[in-house]
Amino acid sequence: MAKREAPEINAGSMADIAFLLLIFFLVTTTMDKDQAFMRSIPKKTLNPLPPPEIFMRDICDIKANNNNQLLFRGELLANPDDISEKIVEFYRFNQKSNDLTSNFPLYTRLTKSEIQVQLDKLDAEIERMESTPDQSEEILKYNLDARAEWQLRLDGLKMYGKSSLPEVASSAHVRVDVQKKTSYELFAKIHTEIQEAIRELKNEEAKKMWNTSFDILSKKADSEPGDREVKSQLDLLKLLYNVRIIEVTPK
Amino acid sequence: MSKFRKDDGGKNAPAINTSSLPDIVFMLLFFFMVATTSKEVDPTVVVNSPTGSYTTDLTPFKQRSEVDFLYLGRPLNPARAEQFAGGFALSLDNVVIPNPDGLYSVNQVRQWKMDKFTSKPATMSQSIEAVITCIKADEKAPTGMIFDIRKELQEIDAISVAYAVKDNGNI
Repeated sequence: MAKREAPEINAGSMADIAFLLLIFFLVTTTMDKDQAFMRSIPKKTLNPLPPPEIFMRDICDIKANNNNQLLFRGELLANPDDISEKIVEFYRFNQKSNDLTSNFPLYTRLTKSEIQVQLDKLDAEIERMESTPDQSEEILKYNLDARAEWQLRLDGLKMYGKSSLPEVASSAHVRVDVQKKTSYELFAKIHTEIQEAIRELKNEEAKKMWNTSFDILSKKADSEPGDREVKSQLDLLKLLYNVRIIEVTPK
Repeated sequence: MSKFRKDDGGKNAPAINTSSLPDIVFMLLFFFMVATTSKEVDPTVVVNSPTGSYTTDLTPFKQRSEVDFLYLGRPLNPARAEQFAGGFALSLDNVVIPNPDGLYSVNQVRQWKMDKFTSKPATMSQSIEAVITCIKADEKAPTGMIFDIRKELQEIDAISVAYAVKDNGNI
């Protein structure tokens, strides 16, 4: 029997099939990105502790009322675009040296020996807890976290290259205080301004120290998560400008 | 006018070779498969997001299925708007007992989030604190409702939220 040639397969409808798939994907997918402001809600506590004493100088409050009018630290603000510059001023005013008469948060300046003292203290505490058996896991974890935090400060100071590390008062924060009928548009605008201020502060510091920008650093951290140098640079920026945000639930 | 005279001697025009057409279309197909993300739901409310800048992009580092989206806006069906305080309703997906219009009020958020969390496959072993809830709200929506949603989420420890905006480029 003679060997028969395999008949050629008609591929004319291949294009139709591919078009069909293409149109399916065009319809069911979307191209817009999900851009959002990441925030976290405070955890629910059953027995809230009494609030700590807070100085007026540590609060950077941004109020918005039902008619979408703005009040920034007690001053009426016509243009919401000014918020970011004011937040930058709030964090920068006392960074070089503390002015006790000003209405801005104070900075503590930690030297290397002061950080080392704290580290030694925590090390001794952790060692003592590990040698005694019946200790609560939670307290040990708390101490380990605290130790890691002080270690970050020590590494940061080394990188910062100065004799001390300026750190803003722990109660300094930006407070977003809106009313129930404030529009989401203004709310989003306030958050934009806060993000802009954070970026501006970090950008300038990154430019001064490494002649780069915060945007470039965070892009690098996204693309190469293993890069230790970039990570420590971002950690230092976070230590220098730790902007805490509190969102007040409207009554 | 010999310029315009047909000079094919009565022959038909040669057939165009279309054998590379599938290749081209497949290329387009793969481009769209890579460059787009699938839609989770068609929201039942109209959401016209406000613009904002310097945002975090939720797409590259999170699969969409790891972020729960909820929509806050005016109902697509205006006749139903009166039943909601202030005319704003929520659009939630995959609710256990669905509502015919797909419109919900704030007090169903907790149940919805809990259901979503428990129905996730075991391979996504994130704690509920880490699962982001992304609120897509209309620019005219009252902020009071956002805080009502936050309160519901706080009750079940779903403490990561994101406020979605349209990014107008980081200018």
